[in-house]
Amino acid sequence: MTGPDDIPGAPLPQPPAGFWPTVRRDLKLGVVSGLQTFWDLAKVMIPAYGVTLALERLGVIGWLADAARPVMTALGLPGDAAVPLVVGYVLNIYAAVGSMQALDLTPQQITVLAIAILIGHNLVVEGAVLHKAGMNGVLFGGLRIVAGLAAAAVANLLMGLM
Amino acid sequence: MAEFLRTFAGGSLDLLWRVFVIVVPIMVVLELFEGTRGFRAVVRWWARIVRHVGLDERSAAPTLVGFLFGLAYGGGVIVRDVRRHDLPRRQVFIMSVFLSMVHAIVEDSLIFIALGASVLWVVAYRILWAALVTLALTALAAHWLRRRRRDDTALRGGPGSR
Repeated sequence: MTGPDDIPGAPLPQPPAGFWPTVRRDLKLGVVSGLQTFWDLAKVMIPAYGVTLALERLGVIGWLADAARPVMTALGLPGDAAVPLVVGYVLNIYAAVGSMQALDLTPQQITVLAIAILIGHNLVVEGAVLHKAGMNGVLFGGLRIVAGLAAAAVANLLMGLM
Repeated sequence: MAEFLRTFAGGSLDLLWRVFVIVVPIMVVLELFEGTRGFRAVVRWWARIVRHVGLDERSAAPTLVGFLFGLAYGGGVIVRDVRRHDLPRRQVFIMSVFLSMVHAIVEDSLIFIALGASVLWVVAYRILWAALVTLALTALAAHWLRRRRRDDTALRGGPGSR
């Protein structure tokens, strides 16, 4: 990969003849675009991770969980279920599952809470990636919270009917 | 503060490592197999499914990566493809909405299934929900864009005045 073909955004060079030369070229391309993508993601994910940690240290999770308590009743969940939900929003699925372990939930409640968390989680870091792709990370975070709660509410209602 | 920085540094390294060991192999496999008949068949099969939410064949591969591995990794491929062949913004929007609602279908779902959540609700219902939200938001965005464009032409003195 030398010469004029090296300009970023230029069309890919014609594939070389033969099987192994093609494999070698594609391997090289794969490593290059893998490192490029890794770097793209790292640039947005690391600052977002810092923000997430700071939010956790400042006690924002407890504060948000208190605010989310009334919503839990509408989903047929105990108020304490707000904690894993908000932990999922700010941190990630693994942290949410960890704090879910502390609650005593029925199978239906586990499923309803799982739906809300599966749709909305890791909002800061994944929002940063969406921002990198050209979308509004904050709006998408809001969308995932609202759509996740709505999905959980609908699921709770439907499961009640079945 | 020193403790915060230590956590941040350790967590960042952990995050970078996890992204690295997933992103680089995904990209190498993509570049190696993107041109092969088998890979194209899989992408075409997947494109026939995601066509129903408004995604075309160019968006099928990044959508598949996000659906299987996670939003961040799908987002990485989206960034690559926007750079490489100018994916239209409309396609990026549809992909972002769809992947916001459902991604990392195996890993994320399994965590909650292990906790006792119902497979049917966590997987099938979530995919259905994602499709409905994507269709609704795409229609809403198209409507909103049309209206804004109409308002713009009205401001400039009505249609045909340019």
